Amino acid sequence: MAPEEIIAAVGDGLPPEVRCEADHRGVVLRVPPGHWLAALAFARERLDCDFFDWLTAVDEADEGFSVVVHVYSLAGRHHVLLAAPLPRSSPWLPTATGIYRGAAWHERETHEMFGIGFDGHPHLAPLLLPDGFEGHPLRKDFVLAARAAKEWPGVKEPGGRPEPGADRPAPGGERPVPRARRRGPPHVPDGWGPA
Amino acid sequence: MTGGTPAACGLPARSRGVIALLEENCTVCMLCARECPDWCIYIESHQEPVPGTEYGGEDPARAPAGRGRQRVRNVLDRFAIDFSLCMYCGICVEACPYDALFWSPEFSYAETDIAALTHEQGRLREWMWTVPPPPRHEEGAPPPREARGQIP
Repeated sequence: MAPEEIIAAVGDGLPPEVRCEADHRGVVLRVPPGHWLAALAFARERLDCDFFDWLTAVDEADEGFSVVVHVYSLAGRHHVLLAAPLPRSSPWLPTATGIYRGAAWHERETHEMFGIGFDGHPHLAPLLLPDGFEGHPLRKDFVLAARAAKEWPGVKEPGGRPEPGADRPAPGGERPVPRARRRGPPHVPDGWGPA
Repeated sequence: MTGGTPAACGLPARSRGVIALLEENCTVCMLCARECPDWCIYIESHQEPVPGTEYGGEDPARAPAGRGRQRVRNVLDRFAIDFSLCMYCGICVEACPYDALFWSPEFSYAETDIAALTHEQGRLREWMWTVPPPPRHEEGAPPPREARGQIP
């Protein structure tokens, strides 16, 4: 099926709340959680996407989470992404295992990594994390132990020279903090790392 | 391809096997260590005065005692990459403004001791002999930005 045919089929067969987006990478169906199972069944039956590739989630920060599924048609060689937005306060979805049995492990992993629940899953136990692990490591607010315990190698100044201004007291009495250290390591939130 | 094991010799020039350091080009700017998302580049350095620029140096008129600035340069003491942490993203190679870091296709350096995967300066320099010359510009590909005059 060409992307235009998929979009037309979705327009005919799914409620208008399911939005269709297409770009050069393919078709994405934005599915409200209430239509999740209907959209998955539609992808399997009507779009002929019989191959379940993967299911995972994306931490969208203030906008909550997205659960994303990639399915593929072995016969038609077309593929579709389905994405469901979930609120941060109660991220729950009905399980996809009734439609794609292979989703069971993916939902278990998404459950432990993002703390997203899947209603009706037969065995929503941790899959990869060690016993007793606390927290959801793929959430963006999860502090990585490796970042908290280790000193950032980039904190050193070129030439190992003393911090700029360290030799003279600042007017306020406190020494100015060098730029690299003030900025801190890139992509690491404030408050992480050894004190 | 120059040098290299038989296995790595058959690999494309842009293969990401190991990162080599041309320490002669390193100015200890720390950009690679700061850009590294894995925090796996360790650099230590100190400063030395540039000969002839001491206060009251060779030419008293140009550098009179008590005036001007003592010129110093950065000297590299240690450059190490921990390949047990490295994820081979190549950001350090991209970030280096002085062409001191290069990709080499050599991949065969497994170790039984994880600490031995931290390659120090001398070993990183030795990898330079396995860095292949850059491949020819592909036919039909757009000219590089430098050639289009977008970079002065």
